[in-house]
Amino acid sequence: MNIRKLAWKNLLRRKSRAVFTGLGIFLGIATFVAISSITSQMEGASQDQLDRFGANIVVSPRTEKLSLGFGDIALGGTEVTHFRLTMADKDRIASIHHKARIRSIVPILMTGVDASGKNLVWMGLPGTEMAIARPWWKIQGGAMLTRGEVLLGAEAAFALDKGSGGTVTAGNRRYRVAGVLQPTGEKEDGMVIADIADVQALAKKPGAVTYFEVAALCKDCPVEEIVAQIGQALPGARVSAIRQVVESRKAAVDQLRRLGFGVSAIVLLIGGLMVLVTVMSGVQERTREIGVLRAVGFRSRSIFSLLFLETGWVSLLSSLLGAGAGIAVAYLASPAFGIDHPSVVFSPAIFGAVAGLSLGLIGAIPPARRAAALSPTEAIRSL
Amino acid sequence: MEPVIHLNDVSMAYGCNGTRATALARISFDIRQGEYVVITGESGAGKSTLLTILGGLQVPTEGVVRIGGADLSSLPADGLADFRRETIGFVFQSYHLLPYLTARENVMVPMSQERIPPREKEERANDLLASVGLAGKEDRLPSQLSGGESQRVAIARALIHDPPVLLADEPTGNLDSATGEQILDLFSEWHGRGKTVLMVTHNKANLFRATRSIRLRDGQVEEDRLLRLLPAESAAV
Ligand SMILES: Nc1ncnc2c1ncn2[C@@H]1O[C@H](COP(=O)(O)OP(=O)(O)OP(=O)(O)O)[C@@H](O)[C@H]1O
Ligand SMILES: [Mg+2]
Repeated sequence: MNIRKLAWKNLLRRKSRAVFTGLGIFLGIATFVAISSITSQMEGASQDQLDRFGANIVVSPRTEKLSLGFGDIALGGTEVTHFRLTMADKDRIASIHHKARIRSIVPILMTGVDASGKNLVWMGLPGTEMAIARPWWKIQGGAMLTRGEVLLGAEAAFALDKGSGGTVTAGNRRYRVAGVLQPTGEKEDGMVIADIADVQALAKKPGAVTYFEVAALCKDCPVEEIVAQIGQALPGARVSAIRQVVESRKAAVDQLRRLGFGVSAIVLLIGGLMVLVTVMSGVQERTREIGVLRAVGFRSRSIFSLLFLETGWVSLLSSLLGAGAGIAVAYLASPAFGIDHPSVVFSPAIFGAVAGLSLGLIGAIPPARRAAALSPTEAIRSL
Repeated sequence: MEPVIHLNDVSMAYGCNGTRATALARISFDIRQGEYVVITGESGAGKSTLLTILGGLQVPTEGVVRIGGADLSSLPADGLADFRRETIGFVFQSYHLLPYLTARENVMVPMSQERIPPREKEERANDLLASVGLAGKEDRLPSQLSGGESQRVAIARALIHDPPVLLADEPTGNLDSATGEQILDLFSEWHGRGKTVLMVTHNKANLFRATRSIRLRDGQVEEDRLLRLLPAESAAV
């Protein structure tokens, strides 16, 4: 008979109590690990998704004129331009050092052209890249943009009194209206949208580009670096990050991180309290037995190591199992949270296991101290 | 020869000012080694209180208690634990065995802190259990033992460290008289080896084995009487 054996015997004797204590620790730690590893993965996933959502860098020519509005949309030839962008610049942008970070480069050409007797702005972009450049557009009729066809902004459709299936005449050509955009509240509501090649032909500017919209994945590289590199590749261009987009992404991710942290902290708190309460009441129940052990000559250190061994074994085992279960749940559940490539995050699991073990041990201290402070007579008489 | 137990003006009061109850009031006596003392008195006279103080299970509010040369009030908590383990064998009226341990394991509990090979601990426990007549029942749990058997396991546990002083608080109180006799035989045998025995009892019939009787009343010694001479003294006469 030694302390270790005594601790083991007591655990075996109170199997259901040990299982209950262990279950409390297990659930607390498993929930904590699952939630914190899911939120930490969601952080990455949401950043991916946000990066997919539209451009965050605009590349336009430098002009003498002060910029008016969004990305120096140059209409007409009133301002002096030292530099013109062409379709070939796309390759230059695509060859910067951080090229792997660039998700899409979409050339846009804006021009004012008469359409069916009304002077409207035409916006040209590669039809195949419309879904990438404007994923939020909703098109009545669900049409794609192919050459020889146009989409009409909501206001443009109203002004022209045309709908899906109608035709618009411009530069002696007829363009079929493939669809009408639902109002976006942006300038494109008043525009005619066509394939960039058609718009270049209409404006008689082959290869011309008004500006490029660049979508860069900047999960852990600052967008400023990409901006600087594009600026070096195109010395005559004005490259600017759309701060609003960048900042709002950051804010969204930060919010998610805070939410995840808050939820994990609360779960850890509840789990921790559960551990403390079960361990404390378990020790309290044994005050009388502790009195007997002290009566036959147990030093207080022996009492402490007895209780620590008991709760230590239970909390070690159950927090390890809980951490494992938490990882497994996070892995299995991650598709439901929009995580396409689930990975195993170890840091919450390690933290959870350590927290479970230490809470289990800490929970034994107050009642053990109280039991040790009583005289054996008082302890035996208790309960 | 210095007495093995020395009490001087020992008082014990329970509770706080409002509900203060004096259990012992300035008790003094000496007990020499080899005495067999029976402590009697009415219920509430302070017998259990006296015995637990002698056993180092609680400390008196006032007075000096010296046992085996150690001043109990000067010992720290762990020193008192060592004293209980090495000097005192304590037998409770209600046994206080650990229910999840077998008879043998219960006897071995006081040795838990010692680095003795497990085999040796087991042998010592088996020998003691055999000497109290429990050979063959070493692996029973307390729930599988009768009251008398449980009390004998508790006595074996009290004797595992070969203590010079054995304290027993109504050890036969829960037992029928025949079973009680067996327990008293064990004490007599232990006393016969030159150990000091103090036993609280209600039963006057137990007096005939003892060498001395102390009767308490309201926390004071009402009567202190020698019943027999100690063997060493009778030889000297
Ligand atoms: N923990 C306690 N708190 C308050 N008073 C106590 C406590 N223990 C004992 N007493 C009081 O101290 C006095 C002596 O009690 P003690 O248990 O020593 O009596 P006793 O002689 O052993 O009685 P019995 O023969 O019934 O066992 C009693 O009046 C009792 O009420
Ligand atoms: Mg009593």
